[in-house]
Amino acid sequence: MTTQRHAFFSRMWTLRIITVIIFLILVGQLARLQFLQGVGFQKEAVVNRVRIVRKKAPRGVIYDRDGRILARNTASYAIAIIPAELPDDPDYEVSEQKRQAIYQAVYDITHEKLARHQDIPKGPTPTPDLTETHLILDVSQPPEPTVLTVDAMADLVAQRELGSAFLPVIVAKNLPREVALQVQEETYRLPGVQMQLISRREYPSGLYTSHIIGYMGPIPEEKEKDYAKKGYAPDAWVGWSDLEYQYEDELHGQPGVRVIEVDVKGREKNVVGEPTEPQPGHNLILSLDLELQKIMFDALTAGVNPKRSNSAAAVAIDPRTGYVLGMVSLPTYDNNIFADGVTPDEYKALSEAPGFPLLDHAISGIYPPGSTFKLVTAAAGLQEKVITRKTILNAPGIIYLPNRNFPDDPDLAQPFVCWIHKSGGEHGDINVTAAIAESCDIFFYKVGGGFPPTDFEGLGVQALADYAQLFGFGEHSGIDLPGENPGLVPDPKWKRLAKGERWVTGDTYNMAIGQGDVLATPLQVSMMTAAVANDGILYQPQVVVAATDYKNHLIKFNHPIVRREIPVDSKNFDIVREGMWMVVNWEYGTAKEVALPDVEVAGKTGTAEFFDPEIGRDLAGNLPSHAWFTAYAPYDDPEIVVTVFVYNGGEGSMVAAPIAQEILRGYFDIKARDEAAGSHSLLDQLEAIAP
Amino acid sequence: MSNQNWRRFDWLLLLAIVMLSIFGVIMINSAVQGDPELAGFPKRQAFYLAVGLALMFITAAFDYHLLRTLTIPFYIFVLALLAIVGAIGQSIFGAQSWINFFGLFPIQPSELAKVALALALGSYLATNQEHIGELRVVLTGLIIIAPIFALVALQPDLGTAIVLAVEAAAIFFVAGLRIRYIIAGVVLAALSAPLAWSMLAEHQRTRILIFIDPTANPDAYFNVKQALVGVGSGGLLGKGYGQGTQSQLHFLRVRHTDFIFSVIAEELGFVGATLMLLTLFFIIWRLWRIADGAADPFGRLLVTGLTAIILFQTLVVVGMNMGLLPVTGLPLPFVSYGGNAMLSLMIFIGLAQSVTMRRN
Repeated sequence: MTTQRHAFFSRMWTLRIITVIIFLILVGQLARLQFLQGVGFQKEAVVNRVRIVRKKAPRGVIYDRDGRILARNTASYAIAIIPAELPDDPDYEVSEQKRQAIYQAVYDITHEKLARHQDIPKGPTPTPDLTETHLILDVSQPPEPTVLTVDAMADLVAQRELGSAFLPVIVAKNLPREVALQVQEETYRLPGVQMQLISRREYPSGLYTSHIIGYMGPIPEEKEKDYAKKGYAPDAWVGWSDLEYQYEDELHGQPGVRVIEVDVKGREKNVVGEPTEPQPGHNLILSLDLELQKIMFDALTAGVNPKRSNSAAAVAIDPRTGYVLGMVSLPTYDNNIFADGVTPDEYKALSEAPGFPLLDHAISGIYPPGSTFKLVTAAAGLQEKVITRKTILNAPGIIYLPNRNFPDDPDLAQPFVCWIHKSGGEHGDINVTAAIAESCDIFFYKVGGGFPPTDFEGLGVQALADYAQLFGFGEHSGIDLPGENPGLVPDPKWKRLAKGERWVTGDTYNMAIGQGDVLATPLQVSMMTAAVANDGILYQPQVVVAATDYKNHLIKFNHPIVRREIPVDSKNFDIVREGMWMVVNWEYGTAKEVALPDVEVAGKTGTAEFFDPEIGRDLAGNLPSHAWFTAYAPYDDPEIVVTVFVYNGGEGSMVAAPIAQEILRGYFDIKARDEAAGSHSLLDQLEAIAP
Repeated sequence: MSNQNWRRFDWLLLLAIVMLSIFGVIMINSAVQGDPELAGFPKRQAFYLAVGLALMFITAAFDYHLLRTLTIPFYIFVLALLAIVGAIGQSIFGAQSWINFFGLFPIQPSELAKVALALALGSYLATNQEHIGELRVVLTGLIIIAPIFALVALQPDLGTAIVLAVEAAAIFFVAGLRIRYIIAGVVLAALSAPLAWSMLAEHQRTRILIFIDPTANPDAYFNVKQALVGVGSGGLLGKGYGQGTQSQLHFLRVRHTDFIFSVIAEELGFVGATLMLLTLFFIIWRLWRIADGAADPFGRLLVTGLTAIILFQTLVVVGMNMGLLPVTGLPLPFVSYGGNAMLSLMIFIGLAQSVTMRRN
């Protein structure tokens, strides 16, 4: 033996120690992975193999009161590739070649069939001009067929293979049915290629009802968790606005769920547990009458001067129930454009277009209600005994409110004018009904804020504000649509906090005629008028009245909801209604041109001044004004309330009242026709069987 | 063969190897379930085990000194084979390393290269052990292994090239290489790293890059990640034989070779995997003991080289299954599927037995 020995241990022993260290490291790492990090890896192993496969439930259909379809599901045809079914050769190159050939074939065949289908080559797609003021914004067009490039197909398939290889990858979509079928015929030999029917939301009434129905889109990022908790698939679509949003839970239904164990290719190996079948969503039946809605839309579109007004709204309510019969907001848009998804740029352009087409001005727009608010002042004044039917107040064209601190100095007195003063006129001695009919400002200044020179005591700001609240101003009406604005009923506390100023009698004057800081939505004005018409019941407006399941069994009926009974005596409402009757039917009424031959209409005009820095004042120094008209009919047995609002429309009597007249005429024409035919609406039938 | 003594044959070593190899066949059987193309693999592995055992006894029966006399012809034969592989070998996973001998046994010349290197370097250093301190001897030793190393590296078969380097290093070390040469060697290796990098094939670079930055290539990282999940989700006792979700649902790739350890750790847990590691440790320990007790330096160096291979491959394969080392494609000794690896390992063991049977 000539082994060279080290002083302490041989080199053989060094190797033995290295061996021990190596094995200790290996066992140590094994323990670390299996014990310290074991739970995490066990979870990963489960995530690896367990897939939740959801079968989409058909979304509920939305009908109007007569059963006309407002939202439904249609199919769009697509070609898909299922990565798990593509050829898979152990040799990567070989399987890539085979796959490329399939992608190429799908691409070529689809393009060939599409080209044959559309003999005439298409020009560039017209892009909507969003810079001009459009009251109607219609950018809808049949969705363009799209086919992915071969490279894009390969990329998407590769991505999907890392995750859920059994889920189809859409490679061509929005194909005409014939094209899809032809492609299917020619590709049946190709493994992994499939024709797919994709459910697509369609709105047959499009821009007529877009602010009621709304639209859908992919789950917003910030709500991913919420929807996942509810069992939504990550690629599910959800309601984004209006009824599609508000009634998401009812409309969506429950997707069918199968939990499966898959292998690395995503091929199904086992089913875990009991699969569940999809439960279709519920159908909604609205109080809306599509026919009336179209009449409202057409009347509003025709009656509005787009050069002046960037927006307008009309609301029709049944005062006996609070059900919404029609609701139109201009400018509008075609909600069908959302069916295939919009790009963020398209969405931005639409939401920022002049007049904000995506906004429902009937419930989200707040404006000074102007003279329509005098109905509240009148009712409050009568109920609080500030005035009676017989009280006569003097109404010159202009009055001077003495300065609080120097009541005897006429130079410091503040002038308040009536609208009639501009033409040099005055209303003279006048009672409440005539004041409503002629829309006398001075009368209501005095009722609201009193008039110290004659020792006449008015309601005062608090009583006025309280009654405004009772009539539903300054609070959400509770309509089943999202995005409602509560508006504003000012009072001294609000003014102190918001403006840092003391409330003065002049503020009460302005408030009494619906000016100053009072802000209301067209819907709130409608609900006020409905309460006057029905003797003081403030209903909660409702759009959806009934819901049925997919077998059309009634599962829910929304009876009218009374928000409150306004504490104003019936005899006082009689007086206010008489004033409203005179507005339309008396020779000095502000809207006597809009009377209907067969039906007695009662209403109130409004010409609400507002300040908009872009519009400013006219040459005479007058502020621009919104045109309002709110009316109900028939006078003796009210069944419809119509409110029309036209932004910067000018005189309510000139602009808004004729539109309301058209709508009322349309309503009673439809009613006469239906009664002659003896037909009953779907809603009536459902109401008959509702519990 | 005067001092041949079957009573000195290490039967405990044989027992451990047979147990481990049968365990390997059983685990391969689990790994290839549900894959019709691989269905015959457990049987083939069992067949190779039987053939390998026969080869081991035959090898053990021969005096290893006899083999020493054949060193030069064998060395030239292996060099020739490696050269031929470069020209006609089949391409497998990018490495030109297989020759189908008579259409029966695929022979991997790189396995023979391991034996040839141990014989040649062991023989030379055993003769010149007195002068191991001289640079001349060290350089001659390096020159002897250079051609064989270069041919393997050029195939390119990075895994085997590194194994050869480790084997040579162990032999030099036990032969008494001076510390200053060891330091010089380490420095040289570090300096030549950029050159080595440029010689690597694309897929080998990818593997190393993935090891350094796993997120760089998610697709390739997938394999490593799945192996980790397999090992980590095994727990104390595992998911049960044939019940590993990672392996049975094929999230693990090359389950029967590269990632067999992950299958074991997943299905048999910490207990099963540790028992297997202990068996391997026992085998290596017995081999060191044989090297230590060899009758002459040649026997010691021969066994040292072969044992270093087994230790190194264990470290690399188990380490890569647990995310400690980059993926190399080496087999786990006695356990991974592979006829060639099994046959050459059995020849190694036969040589070791031959050495221990002829100790003083």
